[in-house]
Amino acid sequence: MSVVLKDLNTENPRWCVGCGDFGIIMGLKRFIVDRQLQPAATVNVSGIGCSGRAPNYFNTYGVHAIHGRPITVALGLALTRPDLNVFVHSGDGDALSIGGNHLMHGINKNFKCVFLLYDNELYALTKNQTSPTTRKDHVTNTQPQGSFLQPINPLTVALGLGGSFVASTADWIPDHLTATMKAAFDHPGFAFVHISQRCPHFDPENFDHKTSTWFSFLKHDKGIAPDKRIAPKTEVVAHDPSDLVAAFKYAFAQRRYFGLFYQNTAKPRYDRILRDLVAKAEQKPRSKILDHYLI
Amino acid sequence: MSVEKRSVTRFELLMDAGFGAQKAGDILLQAFVGMGKYIYVEPMIPAEISPPARTRPALSGVIIRLADFDITNIGNDTDFILASHEMVLDTRLDDKEYNSNCRILLDMGDREANPDSYEMVLKRCTNEGLSVIPFDVDPPSQVLVKELGGKGQNLYYLGMLSYIYNMDEEIVKREIQKTFGKKLNEEIYAKNITLFHNGYQLAKEKVFFTYQVESALRQGEKILIDGNTALSMGIIDAGIKFFSGYPITPASSIMHTLARVFASYGGMVHQAEDEIAAIGTAIGSYYGGVPAVTCTSGPGLSLKQEFIGYAQVAEIPIIVIDAQRSGPSTGMPTKTEQSDLPAVIFGSHGDYTKIVISVANVIDCFYAPHIARYLAEKLRLPVFIMSDFQTANSYKVITKPQVVEMNNVDDIPDFILERFHMDRLPKEIEMVHTSQSVPGTEAGMCRVTGLNTDAKGHVNYYSGTNQRSHRVRNEKVHHVRRALVKPEMFGSDSGDLLVVGWGSTRGAVEEAVSLCKKEGIKAAGMHLRIVYPLPLILKDIFAKYKKIVTVEVAYGDALKASPLAMLLRCETLFDVQPMIAEATGRPIRPKIIVNRVKETLSCQLSLKT
Repeated sequence: MSVVLKDLNTENPRWCVGCGDFGIIMGLKRFIVDRQLQPAATVNVSGIGCSGRAPNYFNTYGVHAIHGRPITVALGLALTRPDLNVFVHSGDGDALSIGGNHLMHGINKNFKCVFLLYDNELYALTKNQTSPTTRKDHVTNTQPQGSFLQPINPLTVALGLGGSFVASTADWIPDHLTATMKAAFDHPGFAFVHISQRCPHFDPENFDHKTSTWFSFLKHDKGIAPDKRIAPKTEVVAHDPSDLVAAFKYAFAQRRYFGLFYQNTAKPRYDRILRDLVAKAEQKPRSKILDHYLI
Repeated sequence: MSVEKRSVTRFELLMDAGFGAQKAGDILLQAFVGMGKYIYVEPMIPAEISPPARTRPALSGVIIRLADFDITNIGNDTDFILASHEMVLDTRLDDKEYNSNCRILLDMGDREANPDSYEMVLKRCTNEGLSVIPFDVDPPSQVLVKELGGKGQNLYYLGMLSYIYNMDEEIVKREIQKTFGKKLNEEIYAKNITLFHNGYQLAKEKVFFTYQVESALRQGEKILIDGNTALSMGIIDAGIKFFSGYPITPASSIMHTLARVFASYGGMVHQAEDEIAAIGTAIGSYYGGVPAVTCTSGPGLSLKQEFIGYAQVAEIPIIVIDAQRSGPSTGMPTKTEQSDLPAVIFGSHGDYTKIVISVANVIDCFYAPHIARYLAEKLRLPVFIMSDFQTANSYKVITKPQVVEMNNVDDIPDFILERFHMDRLPKEIEMVHTSQSVPGTEAGMCRVTGLNTDAKGHVNYYSGTNQRSHRVRNEKVHHVRRALVKPEMFGSDSGDLLVVGWGSTRGAVEEAVSLCKKEGIKAAGMHLRIVYPLPLILKDIFAKYKKIVTVEVAYGDALKASPLAMLLRCETLFDVQPMIAEATGRPIRPKIIVNRVKETLSCQLSLKT
């Protein structure tokens, strides 16, 4: 039975008007429909925060887990149920603060999943606190003097950890968002997708979604096509996603780049390694498990 | 020369860590078992890998209780000690677990360099009435040990012990071959064997006594296994297919064992990046319908708590093994304790709905995963298996347990339920989510969340809905409460005193009760295998005794009840007192229980008069 968009809806999402999260889940739903993924074989896994609510708004299987740990649950599914489509939804606080350790090891393990980082550059659900990606001097409830530190750059983190797929997009560019999900889903490993996400309630000035002069698209045959609608109005740079050095250059830049920074399809996958271990082991009958200890 | 016949005896080999005391212990126990003895073995392991030699933390040793009948615990006192130098001896004497006529063979090799220290310890032994037989390793063997870089001394001591315990040299050599044959090159192996012979000869010439324990006739197939290995095999037999853990003493050896063999039974071992990830990944596996277990110890248990609370609300089954060690905090990683009970039952914020199973011996270890899986899947709640350092590491000879090759939990055999003193659960058990399938199934597609939900799984904050969720979760625990029957009892059905214990104290309580009976003391024992919830019948049983006390390897005093005493009090309203509540890191001994029983009863008597 074919899947249409409305099949994927549950209740009305409890997000603020204008929240970028609407765009992100719509982008994923559009991809699920485009690819005709079976809802019963699809699992959305999330942590805590505004992004954490996402699985509740997909009529698929879903695990709305605890703060910072969705990667751990997703790994359990990816290891034992390779037949499932696993999407991880995590925020900047969830992934880079409380769950930093799991992000590091998730990327390193390179298990098969699409990892969506909803980056609104602050804690929103707990009401406007500084997050690891909050820009310096931005005023929040926990750092009213202006945020103290330079933010962590999720893209350089992902590249530095040896990410096998590192892409960036934004919640308000639907076609590019869906194209990024498609490329991520087809990647054999941990697909790290950074999504610039608007938070109109706590930080309405952060992303100027009405202009396009402040960001550029990365373009390549093996990359993600720049958004047809917006590309003519902004800079498009050629970047080969197999070039890690250039990827770092764009990731470190002050300017924002959307597109595929880096991809390596040859990186070994932890989920495959563990499954192969079982597949290749000499299978023994359980009836004899204690015989080794006979005296 | 005297051959002393014993029905049961206990001895210790004490050395510095890193010199092979544990290996020597392994060889000894295999050889004893090969000769038809019953044994109970407790290793003494330092928390560090190689603490500086000749310091107190360096003590590494093995306690072996040897008998011509089946024994259930490590026993009371040591009859004989072989110590590699005076420091290890001094350290161990502090535990005061020796017999009044305990013999000590003390290697004098270090005396020249440490005359004062030797003198002090020898004086201590004299003061405590212990007979020390000093000896020196013969000069050619000293040269050999030097050539081996200090190694090989354990083989020398092994030779001495083989003579002293009238062991068949060939059987011991066969075990040495099994242990070292493949690992050492021929020359080094030959030197080790020479050391073994020389040790044997030295004892023959210098030691004027030997111990003789009769070999017992054994009926049926027997196995020699330790607690953690039995748990590992139980995990396989129970049909669990996924294991995740993070290295922590004393749980790690479960992961080591499964890492070697699990794949051959279709199982996967995942070493997680931390304790939280370990349980998260196991929950992911179980959510996907693949039975999973994670194992840990105290500090890791604290870290896992949030996910344990989550699993209750999300109704994802999960099995957590807690191999307890001495706490709080990092505590004493290689010492035994039973203090995690409150953290396991009440840990994780909010209401607590979980099931806690404990293991008392290696057979329990083998079957605990079956019942844990049965309860976890029937109730969709977290189920704990609580072990401890002592049970995890103790070796024992047992009749080979029946392998059941469980697939579907409804097929769990009655004898396993009986072992844990419970009836089968009702067929229909209400869940918070009326329909929750595993991914891949069209019917029952749902989302799970740690937020409160209504019956359909939708996030819901209405007061009535939350109260319903609580009621449904607690009703699952009540099903277990009602299914629990009379726990295991030792001694008479009524009397002056009932001693209640759980976990690894079982053997000591059982033996103490039978010692009491011989002396005409009216004390009975109770052992709890499922520690939470407790059976409803408990109050009726308690009413038949004048006094209820607990025996626990956990702290308690007159003003603060120990964990089990606290639990029994609040569940039964009986004035349960901690009779022994000591967190010394050492197992509780039957003799101590008997002494305390006498004190408790005479105290009661004096209060009456």
